Amino acid sequence: MNTAARTAVRSRFTLSRDVMQAFYRLLGVVLLCAILATLSDVFLTTNNILNVLRQSALLFLMASGLTLVILTAGLDLSIGANVALSACLAASVIKITGSPLLGMATGIGCGAVIGLANGILVTALRIPSFIATYGMMWMLTGVTYYYMAGETIHGFPPEFRQLGSGYLLGVPMPVYVMVLFLLIGGLFAQRTVWGQQIYAIGANPVTARLSGVPVERRLVLVYAVSGAMAGLASLIILARINSAQGDIGEDLTLPAIAAVLVGGTSLFGGSGTVAGTLIGALILTLVLNAMNLLQINSSWQPLVTGVIVLLAVWIDTRARRIGE
Amino acid sequence: MSTRGFSLAALPVARVPGVAIVLVVLCAGFGVTSPGFATPANIANILTQSTILLLLALPMTVIIMTEGLDLSIGAVLTFASIVLAVTVIATGSPTLAFLAALGVGLCFGLGNGVLIAVFDIPPFITTLGTLGIAQGLSLLVTDGQSVVGIPRSIEQIYSGTAAGIPFPIIIAALAYFITHALLYHTRFGTYVFALGGNREALRVAGISVRGMLIRVYVFGGLMAGFAALLMTARLNSAHPTAGIGMEFDAIAAVAVGGTSFERGNGWLLGTLLGVIAVGVLRNGLNLLAVPSSVQVACIGALVIVALFIDGMRAER
Amino acid sequence: MKYLAISVTAVLTALFSGPAFADDETIAVFTKNQTNPYFQAVRVGTETAAKALGVKVIQYVPTKPDSIPEQLSQVEDVIVKKPNAIVFIPVDYKALVPAVEKINAAGIPVTNITDRSAGGNFVAFVGADDYSIGLSVARRLLKAIGGKGNVIILEGVKGSLTSTNRVRGFNDAMKENPDVKLLASQPANFQRLNALQVMENLMQSFPSIDGVLAANDPMAVGAIEALEGANRKALVIGINGSKEAVELIKSGKLLASGDFNGFIQGCIGTEIAVRNLHKQPTPKEVMLKPIVIDKTNFTPYEMPVEQRACPTLEQIVSN
Repeated sequence: MNTAARTAVRSRFTLSRDVMQAFYRLLGVVLLCAILATLSDVFLTTNNILNVLRQSALLFLMASGLTLVILTAGLDLSIGANVALSACLAASVIKITGSPLLGMATGIGCGAVIGLANGILVTALRIPSFIATYGMMWMLTGVTYYYMAGETIHGFPPEFRQLGSGYLLGVPMPVYVMVLFLLIGGLFAQRTVWGQQIYAIGANPVTARLSGVPVERRLVLVYAVSGAMAGLASLIILARINSAQGDIGEDLTLPAIAAVLVGGTSLFGGSGTVAGTLIGALILTLVLNAMNLLQINSSWQPLVTGVIVLLAVWIDTRARRIGE
Repeated sequence: MSTRGFSLAALPVARVPGVAIVLVVLCAGFGVTSPGFATPANIANILTQSTILLLLALPMTVIIMTEGLDLSIGAVLTFASIVLAVTVIATGSPTLAFLAALGVGLCFGLGNGVLIAVFDIPPFITTLGTLGIAQGLSLLVTDGQSVVGIPRSIEQIYSGTAAGIPFPIIIAALAYFITHALLYHTRFGTYVFALGGNREALRVAGISVRGMLIRVYVFGGLMAGFAALLMTARLNSAHPTAGIGMEFDAIAAVAVGGTSFERGNGWLLGTLLGVIAVGVLRNGLNLLAVPSSVQVACIGALVIVALFIDGMRAER
Repeated sequence: MKYLAISVTAVLTALFSGPAFADDETIAVFTKNQTNPYFQAVRVGTETAAKALGVKVIQYVPTKPDSIPEQLSQVEDVIVKKPNAIVFIPVDYKALVPAVEKINAAGIPVTNITDRSAGGNFVAFVGADDYSIGLSVARRLLKAIGGKGNVIILEGVKGSLTSTNRVRGFNDAMKENPDVKLLASQPANFQRLNALQVMENLMQSFPSIDGVLAANDPMAVGAIEALEGANRKALVIGINGSKEAVELIKSGKLLASGDFNGFIQGCIGTEIAVRNLHKQPTPKEVMLKPIVIDKTNFTPYEMPVEQRACPTLEQIVSN
């Protein structure tokens, strides 16, 4: 059996185990919901469930691209700053041209170009991803501040805002976008050669290279995809709040990373799923939703989130141990 | 580009680390363009400003050498500073308050270490979780308000001098030499190097990897407690957002200083230079009155340029 | 290698060719962040006034929004630079007292605007009373809903002076209307995305909401978007009198916004600093009158701040 075949077998094994873990995690979400439902009688209403799904869409879109990066044992700390710059540029283009399509192309394009730059820093210049994207975060923030000069851009055409606040068959539009990218992301990661190569790179870059995986090119792809997803997320934010401000992406990076990790993707690469990330995003959103519904002092938020992150990952580690 | 242009290739840079080059370039540049820069008062100013970050960056170097990370260090500093302030106001005893701050650092360091070493939760996630906990506790204790009314004796720790040298610089220098001695002249240091590069060898030698890891994170927590003393003295108050994001500044300083994230190769002097480079950049840009948005971008550029130069050196 | 040389040269040129100082008087202006339009209005105000008075202003803004240690470092750096005067908004009104004391010790006259520092010596304080603005704009909303119904408060950053005082004003207005019920009072950190999500969540619990009192305009915008997204109607007020708030008042989506006028505070703060330098008499305190901007009086606020002229101190004080 050659190395590539062995890698493939190993990946399929990882996959089934990952799917089982995603299932367990889903059980965890159901349990969490059951507890919350007893605490608040509006929690389990259709409206609130749709509300939670819509809110988690934003986190999921950012976190799904990031999942691919983390699968390769990398990290992207620039996604929040990426969201801010992409949103501000897209907002300008929509305002100037009046064309939502051009604006959307700008947002996603800007995100992808930033991701590409990250990929080049990480591969061609061999800067560790943590530091490269940290430096990128500062540079993007600087450009955003300079460009916006403390102003806001406000008021977009209704057809663009449908993307964030519209409904189709009673379900909010962002939820469709989320499901669409869940399918695309899941299929790409699990069912395509490129996806499997990404897992292989994360599991062991040396073996992957030896078995013929173009490691550099896949890495650049992964960062570009993560950037493009940040660009897409920026459009959802724009459409939802109908305005852009320089601090729009602040405080979004760490929750996105937390969603990926709570979703069971390992920071060491090679194991995890996009579906798991959705569950991670749901858990984090549910907690904030419940705290608002129960009107708990917001000072508790970081503490509760911290404990939940620790608990989720600890249970995950235990389950993995037992699974082996 | 004309061949007469400034070219780094002409310089014997092969052995000079990126951070040293960056620091020299920055100092020379600011020295020429900004009259106030190269004065003793301003140099003391830069060094004093850098002390708190250095107190965090030193243990961060050690932690990163073990292939770990401590994202909670800024939040622990904040919480320790709040506990310090509350204790000194309640009891009137600076000593007790300082011990309380160290206690907070110790608890969080121990917690991080146990979660990482015993429960096997990866450092990034562990400390992301404890970051949330420390930040939440800070908010809950203060309800978002500054804690004020600290006796002037605490402020003296930051503003006082001995033989003309500001106290914070003396404290930071002490911390540096202690860390240096720990890392390069004790068995603990040898094990730290092994934790990053060769964990198996430690096990074979019968040394408890868990115990060593816990000690490393406790060191981080204690240093955060020390830094809390300086921070509280500096602000003459404690504030629940004071240390937010300092963990990333510390990590960046360590990386700029040439410590590797993967192989466990640490360079403590590099961390010191990295911290000073960040301080020099910020101070120089302020003196030149460069707009804040450009300053933000410059910090990012500094990080990437320093690592880029290091990367080029490694390729030769 | 050549590329590196080019980029190094470019970076160096960019770094070290900062604006040169003229010999005229310079005033260092400290604001909290680069993202909130309020502080941009303050900066424009200081620059407009400086141009009219023939002085130079230099802006200092923390690179990390609202960072206490960073503003303190910037103050220390500026003291090295010795500007003729300082116009100062502390990031935190208590934690920056040591910074003010350092400025005092360096003998640089400092004028405090917007957030009143808890200590230190100032030439003067220029501000607006958050409490009375909160009170009057909340009264405007409570009157519009007929003195009865259900109301939600969106607070700013917990513990910040601005938020505390504005919310206190809101609550006192509520007390005057015993038939109004306060459903919830939750912080949304002065941010629109936070406000949007908090509002979406609160709408789940409360089927009937008549009014939303937001402690600044961006949160009011977030609340309006949340209400529109759920196809629900409620009257919303904000505070700051920002450009987008004025647009929303014009289009009828926002009932009113309290005029917390950063532009004028920047103007007057700078004018007082300059007068003090020229040994002219200055008032110890200037408080802007609480003005509620609504459908009846929004027209003057439509002009972008960059095009406005500074009112003089006399105009403000005599008002």
